[in-house]
Amino acid sequence: MSAVALALATNPGGYLLVLAIVLPVVGMLLSLVAGGRNAERIALALMPAGLGIALVIAFGVWREQAPLVYILGGWAPPLGIALRADGFSAVMLVTAALVVAAAGYFARPLFATPPQRAEARAPLAFWTLLQGLWAALNMVFLGGDLFNLYVALELLTFAAVPLVCLDGRPETLRAALRYLLFALIGSVFYLLGAALLYGSYGTLDIVLLAEGIRAAPVVAPATFAAGGLMTAGLLAKTALFPLHLWLPPAHANAPAPASAVLSALVVKGSFFLVVRLWFDVMPGLASDAAMGLLGALGSGAILFGSVLALRQRRLKLLIAYSTIAQVGYLFLMFPLAAGSEPWNGQAWNGGVMQALSHAFAKASMFLAAGLVAESLGHDRIADLRGIGHAMPMTLFAFGLGGLSLMGLPPSGGFTAKWLLLQATVEGGQWFWAAIVLCGGLLAGGYVYRVVAPALAASPLDVRASPSRGREGIVLALAIAALLLGFAPPGFLGLLQVGRAAIVP
Amino acid sequence: MTALLATGLLAPLVLLAACLRPAWRPAVPAWLAVAPLPALAAALMALENDPVAVELPWLRLALALDFPGAILLGVSALLWSAGGLYAAAFLKRTTATLRFVVCWLLTLSGSLGVFMADDLVGFYLLFALASLPAYGLIAHDDEPTAWRAGAIYTAFTVLSEAFLLMGFVLLAAGDPTGSLRIGDVMAALPQSPWLNGAVTLTAIGFVLKIGLVPVHGWMPLAYAAAPVPAAAVLSGAGVKAGVIGFLRFLPFDSAMPVAGELLAVLGFFSAFYGVAIGLLQSRPASVLAYSSISQMGVIAAVLGMGLAAGNDSAPIAGSLYAAHHVLAKGALFLAIGVIAMTTAPRTAPTLFLATLVALGLGGLPLTGGALAKLAIKEPLGNGLAGTLANLSAAATTLLMVHFLVRLARSAAHEPPTVIPQAFLLSWRLVALAALFVPWLLYLASSGTVQAVLAPGALWDAAWPVVIGAVLAPAWVRWGSHMPRIPAGDVMGTIERVFRSSYAIGVAMERADHMLRRWPAAACSLVAIAVVLSAATI
Amino acid sequence: MTAATLAGLTGAALVGLGVYGLLVLAHPLRKLLCFNLLGSGVFLMFGILARKGGAAGFAADPVPQALVITGIVVAFSATALAVALLLRLFETSGTVTLNPDEQRPE
Repeated sequence: MSAVALALATNPGGYLLVLAIVLPVVGMLLSLVAGGRNAERIALALMPAGLGIALVIAFGVWREQAPLVYILGGWAPPLGIALRADGFSAVMLVTAALVVAAAGYFARPLFATPPQRAEARAPLAFWTLLQGLWAALNMVFLGGDLFNLYVALELLTFAAVPLVCLDGRPETLRAALRYLLFALIGSVFYLLGAALLYGSYGTLDIVLLAEGIRAAPVVAPATFAAGGLMTAGLLAKTALFPLHLWLPPAHANAPAPASAVLSALVVKGSFFLVVRLWFDVMPGLASDAAMGLLGALGSGAILFGSVLALRQRRLKLLIAYSTIAQVGYLFLMFPLAAGSEPWNGQAWNGGVMQALSHAFAKASMFLAAGLVAESLGHDRIADLRGIGHAMPMTLFAFGLGGLSLMGLPPSGGFTAKWLLLQATVEGGQWFWAAIVLCGGLLAGGYVYRVVAPALAASPLDVRASPSRGREGIVLALAIAALLLGFAPPGFLGLLQVGRAAIVP
Repeated sequence: MTALLATGLLAPLVLLAACLRPAWRPAVPAWLAVAPLPALAAALMALENDPVAVELPWLRLALALDFPGAILLGVSALLWSAGGLYAAAFLKRTTATLRFVVCWLLTLSGSLGVFMADDLVGFYLLFALASLPAYGLIAHDDEPTAWRAGAIYTAFTVLSEAFLLMGFVLLAAGDPTGSLRIGDVMAALPQSPWLNGAVTLTAIGFVLKIGLVPVHGWMPLAYAAAPVPAAAVLSGAGVKAGVIGFLRFLPFDSAMPVAGELLAVLGFFSAFYGVAIGLLQSRPASVLAYSSISQMGVIAAVLGMGLAAGNDSAPIAGSLYAAHHVLAKGALFLAIGVIAMTTAPRTAPTLFLATLVALGLGGLPLTGGALAKLAIKEPLGNGLAGTLANLSAAATTLLMVHFLVRLARSAAHEPPTVIPQAFLLSWRLVALAALFVPWLLYLASSGTVQAVLAPGALWDAAWPVVIGAVLAPAWVRWGSHMPRIPAGDVMGTIERVFRSSYAIGVAMERADHMLRRWPAAACSLVAIAVVLSAATI
Repeated sequence: MTAATLAGLTGAALVGLGVYGLLVLAHPLRKLLCFNLLGSGVFLMFGILARKGGAAGFAADPVPQALVITGIVVAFSATALAVALLLRLFETSGTVTLNPDEQRPE
C-alpha cells in the first residue's frame, strides 16, 4: 500500500489515540458534575492512566516504526477526520502526560478541598481546566485535520486563559485578557488560512492536502497566503518574538503549576502545528527565504528573551522571559531541518529534543519558583540570597533545569544544541551557530544571577519549608530533563518516525 | 582495569550521594582524602602496564589512560588527596561546609575524570564539571571580593565552554564515521574541511582555561579569594584540565606552523608577563597566581612549538612539565596556609622546604623542577625558543624569591591556636612529592640518572637559577619602591568595558517595551503574515 | 457582479475592518467586537467556498457549512469568555484598560 493509503486507514493500535483524547475529556466532564472535592480525585487518578496510554502509543510507534492512524467513525478523509501519531506526536504525548501529572500532584496542597471546608470555585476550576488543557493538547498532537486542529487549539487557549487568572487579582485578569484577545486574533488568522486552503484543495486532511499541493501542476496562489496567515496566527499563540506581548505577565502571574504547564506545554502546542504545517502540509513551499525568516525571528527571540531575562527583578518574570528565548531555539529547526539531507534529520532531532528538554526543565523551574514564593511570600531575586540553605533540593532542581537551558551536559538541552550546531556546520549555516552559542552564554548569565546568590552562606528566614514530596516532584522533572541527555540512539530513531522528508 | 577506572571516576560521586543523607554528612569531610585514591591506583596501574581504553556504555562514557593522561591523573589525584586532608581540617573551622564539600567533590570528579575521558561528549562534560562547581570553592567566603572573583571566574568558564562546544562540534563533524572517540576524531582531523576552525576554537577554549594573557585576569582574583586548600587544588590540578585539553586536541602529528607559533608566542608572552606583574604583587597568593600564568605560558609555548614542528613527543614533554607544576604549585599554596598559622622563628623548616620547592619551579638542579625543565628541552630546541625558556626560568627564580620574601613576612604575629597536624602533614606530603615524584616519572619515561648528573646538564639547569638568584637581592632591596598593580591587572578595564555593555540591555529593554505595546504587536503580526506569504512565493 | 463575488468582497471588507480595528482601537470591548467582525468575514468566505462547490466534487459542498457552524460556536465561546473576564476585571479594579502603563482609576 502507498504511504497515502496507509495514512487513510485505521491500523492496529489506532484506537489508543481515541483513548488518549477521550480519557481527559471524560475526566473533565465527570469533574464538572462531581464537584471540587471529587474533581481532584478524578484528575489525579486519571493522570497515571493517561501516562500509561501515552507510553503504550509511543511504544507502538517505535515498534512499528510507522505512525499509528485512527479514522473516526470509519469515515475516511476528506469527509471524515483522522487521528495520527508519528514519532514527534508520541514523545509530545508522553511529555504532556508527565508534566501535567507533575503539575497536578504538585498542585494538591494549593487546590485541595479539606473535608471540613465547603467546596470553592477555584479548585473545581483548576482541576477541570487542567484536564481540559491536557485533552486539548492531546488533540493538537494527534489531530490529522487542519480544522479539527483549529478547534483543539481554541480549546487549549480557553483552558489556558482562565488558569492564568484563577486567583482573580486585577493584574492576572488583565494578563489573561491580553492573552485571550491576542490569541483570538491568531486563531482568526489561522482559520482564514485554513479557509483558503480548503477553497483551493477541497480538503483539510494533512496527508491529502500535502498530496494535493505536491501533485498540483501550479501551486494555487491562495496557498502562499494561507501559509503566511496560518503561521502568523500560530506564532501569536506561541509568543514568538516580536509577538510575545502577552507571555511575560500571563506566565509570571499564574499560579506555579499553571505557569509550569503553560510554559512547558501550551506554547509548544501551537509550535507543533507550525511544524506540521511546514514539514507535513507544504514542504514544497518551505523556501529558504521563508524558513530563514522563521529562523531570524527565533534568533531575535533568543537574544531579546535572554537579555531581558537578565534584567528582570522577579524570579517568575525571569523564567517567563527565558521561555521566550528557549522558544526561539525551536524555530532554528525551520532553516536547518527543512530538506532530506542527513543533517536535516539531525536538526529535526535537535529541535524536538529542545522542545522536550525545555518542557521538563522549564516546568521544574517554574515549580521551584513556586515553592520559593510560597516559602518566602515573594520572588524578588535580590532577596533570594541564601535560599539554598533553606531549600537545598529546590535550588538543586532549579540549577539542574538551568544547566539544561544553558546546554551543558549531561542534559537534553546539551543534546539539542549539539545536534543543532552539528546541522549548522554541515549545512554551512554559520549564522545560527553564533546565535545558539550567544544564547547559551546569556542563559548562563541569568541562571547565575539566581543560583550564585542563592548559594551564599547568609541565613534566610523562610515562613515554612516545602514538603519533601513536592520538592521531589520538582527534582524529578529536572532529572527528566537531565536523563534526556542519555537518550539512546533508538530514541532519536523514534523521533524520525513519520518525518515527511524521509517518507519515500 | 575497567572497574578501577570507573571507580576512580565515580568514587567522589558516591561520596556526594552520601551527602544526601543528613545523618552521614558530618562524616563526609574525613573521606575527602580517600576519594581520589582509586584514581591514583588506576594511574599507577596504567603507568605500569600499557595504555588502556574502556567503555562504560551505561554512562555513555569512554575512558582511556595513555602516558600523559596517567601521569597527570596520578599527580593530580595525589594533590587532591593531600588537599582533602587539609580541607577536612579546614572545614572544622569554617561555616557552609556542606556547600564546600559538594563543590569539592564535584570539581574533584571532573578534575580527575577529564584526564581519563576518551570521547568528545564525556570530555566536555567532565571539563565542565572540573570548572563550574569550582565557583563554590572560590566564593566560599561571603565577601564582595570573593563574589567578584567567583563571578569573573564563572564568566570566563562559561565563555570557554562556549568556544569548546563549537570546537568540538567541528571536530565531530570532521569525522565521517560519526564516531565521537577522541582517537577517531583526531585521526580524521587532518583531512577535515574544518581543521583550522576546529583547532582555533578548541585552542581558544583551553587558553581561557589555562589563563594565558590577555584572558588571565580571573586567575589571580580566584586564587586569592579561594580558601587555601581550594586554591591549592585548583591552581595545581584544576587548571590542568586545560593542559590535557591541549594535549588531546592539538593535532601534533600534522605540523601547523602558523597556529603552533601563534600559541608559542602567546605562551612566551604570558611567561614573562606573569613574572613582571607577579613581582608587583604583595599577597603571596597573588604572586603564586601570576607564577601560574607564567608557567602555563611555558607549557603553551612547548606545545605550540611542538604543533608548529609536528613533533609528537611534545605532549609527553608538556605533561611531564605540567605534572611537576601540579605538585609544586599545590604545595606552595598549602605553605601559605601553614605559614599564616606559624609564628616567626618556628617558620624556618617550612620556609626551607618551601624554598626548595619554589626554586624548583625555576629549575634548581636535582629537584623535580630541574627534571621538568629537562623534559621540555627537546621540543623547544636550542634556538630562540630554548633561550626564551631559559630566560623565563631565570625570571621565575626571581619571582619565587619575591614570593618567599612575601611568604616569610606573612607569618603569624601572635601565637595562634595550635596548627592542625593535618595541615602540616598535607603540606609536607605535597612538597616532598614535588621534589621527588618527577624523578620517578622521569625514570619511567626512560630517562637516565647519568643524563641529569652530567656536568653539562647540571650547568644548563643551574645558570638560569643563578641569574635569578643574583638579581633577587636587588629586587628585594629596591622592588618595594615600584608601584603596586592590583591583582587581576587588566580585569578592572575588562569589567568597565563589560559594564558599558549594560547600555545594550537598557536599549533592548526599551525596545521590548515598545514591541510589547498592543498596536506594535498587532502590526508585527500582520507584517509577519504578509512577509512570510511573500517569502514562500 | 454575481452574488458570490459580492459576498466574497463583503467578507474581505469585514476582515479588513476587523484587522484595522484590532490595530488601532484600545478599548478591550472594541477589540472583542473587532474580533467578531473579523470572524464573521472569515465565516462568510467559508460560505462562498461552499457555494463554489469546492474540489470535493459536490454540487454544493456541505463541509464548509459544518466548519462554519463549529467556528461560530467557538467564536461565541471565546466572546463569552472574554466578556466574563472583562466584567470581572471591571468589578475588581474599576477599569478595563489592558495596558498596565495606562491604568487610571475612574
